[in-house]
Amino acid sequence: MKGTNLFLKIFTILVFLFLYSPIIVMVVFSFNESKSIGVFTNFSLRWYEKVINNPEVWKALFNSFWVGAVVTIVSLILGLMMAMAVTRYSFSGKSILESLILIPVIIPEIAEALSLLIMYIFLNIPLGPVTVIIGHVAFCISYVTIVMRARMAGYDRSIEEAARTLGANEFQTFFKITLPTLYPAILAAGLLAFTLSFDDLIKTLFTTGPGFKTLPLVVWSSAARGGVSPELNSLSSFALSISFLFAVFRLRVERRLER
Amino acid sequence: MGFSDTLLKHIRRNVTVKVSLLLIPPLLFLAIWFYAPFFIVGLYSFDMINIQREIVFKPSLIHYLRVLSWTGAMKIFLRSLYFAGVTVILCLLIGYPVAYYISFKMKKYKDLFIILFIIPFWVSFLLRTYAMMSILDERSFLNVLLTSLKLIDSPIRIMYTDTAVILVMVYDYLVMMVLPLYANLEKLDKTLLEAAYTLGASPVKTFLKITLPLSMPGIMAGFLLVFIPAVGEFVIPELVGGPNNYMVGNLIYEFFMGARHWWIGSALSMLFIVFILSLVITYVRKMGERGLAF
Repeated sequence: MKGTNLFLKIFTILVFLFLYSPIIVMVVFSFNESKSIGVFTNFSLRWYEKVINNPEVWKALFNSFWVGAVVTIVSLILGLMMAMAVTRYSFSGKSILESLILIPVIIPEIAEALSLLIMYIFLNIPLGPVTVIIGHVAFCISYVTIVMRARMAGYDRSIEEAARTLGANEFQTFFKITLPTLYPAILAAGLLAFTLSFDDLIKTLFTTGPGFKTLPLVVWSSAARGGVSPELNSLSSFALSISFLFAVFRLRVERRLER
Repeated sequence: MGFSDTLLKHIRRNVTVKVSLLLIPPLLFLAIWFYAPFFIVGLYSFDMINIQREIVFKPSLIHYLRVLSWTGAMKIFLRSLYFAGVTVILCLLIGYPVAYYISFKMKKYKDLFIILFIIPFWVSFLLRTYAMMSILDERSFLNVLLTSLKLIDSPIRIMYTDTAVILVMVYDYLVMMVLPLYANLEKLDKTLLEAAYTLGASPVKTFLKITLPLSMPGIMAGFLLVFIPAVGEFVIPELVGGPNNYMVGNLIYEFFMGARHWWIGSALSMLFIVFILSLVITYVRKMGERGLAF
């Protein structure tokens, strides 16, 4: 028993080491003075200077943010409609509808992205930011609906009925009662949609037009072209810190909502 | 009373109208931008779109037959199954002890350790893959360290091999195994274990007869959550594998973007999607609807 416990403890520590060391090595070597990715010579910010002075990076970051924002708003509106229909009303064909919502989460993104590209080409739709946004929304709707439905499960509709009895009309009830009560569900789903869009590579890669790049695309093209380099280490660490800050924010918001 | 008022009153009363108003916009969006593309790919796969991009009503199975009789494609499909299978098994072997240790042996810091486990997965999938590249590289710190400690004679050449692809997949998908397992083990009634001990069962027997069978739903959920993205993986073989380590995703990509043979690419996509869906349907049949509410 003692031996098993010790084994489990050491094993768990090793797994944590396995999880953290690649990220730590990548971040540490982004501060390396020399071009080496194996020997650390001196602390330096030269690779960060290169990244910060690269206008392509800033443009891509800006693109990632605004695409993420538009995707979040559109998929929140569409997902909220879907979640409300599914949780509030019973109608025939509901289980088919629920599978239709789930399928985008299951299908491998590469098949989904290439099919969408084929359709864009088939219909002669010019590729660019709009086609990227459409591609992101197409899978974000499902995630938003699933998260909202889970959070709306215990929703008490009696306050809505109270509002209606007190003379509020349908729209007043929706904007003054329903929407504020659903705020936690909307926030959780919105943060998820933004993260999915912000981190997306495959859909963006195949639905973007010439010159329109998001941050993951910049990382991808330079990793696929030149492999590991100190400059890409610092760009990745820079991108990592953004995802990280965002995740901390998400965690704090969710914690507060659960209280 | 104006027309719009009458209309509004009608909407208020009629549930069917309300449901339709709520459902039409999102469903229309999904139909056009998610399902229609697969319909077009379906037309291509049955040879119903010609080179001039015109629809012709002469369905044929020629592209399916070509894919199914081509050993190269079969080989890549089997390789994808093998890679995903090994990844799932490794995730289970690595993930189970960790989930078990945190759930059963830790008292105070459970939540902290689960968060510490999840933190590396806050980093996006692409960046995690790149981080793995930065230690698998021949010139990497890990190789320099191991050679200078005289543990190895020459740097490990692992990039662009099957091992690299599988290793990175395990690194990227481990969380998908551990989280459902941990949730499952946390719900497990621990008094059952005490009962087994009181009745004289050894720890090994208790584990094999109680803990393991009761954690099967967690294992199955983890299996599905790791296997599906792994079998359809495209980015990892593209970055850390070579042409000899390609998986189905890369093959479909090559047909669409490289060879520009959309008919074969479409037939491949359709077969692959049917495979994935039948896998999920089998799982839902076995585990029930609740199996998908992870």
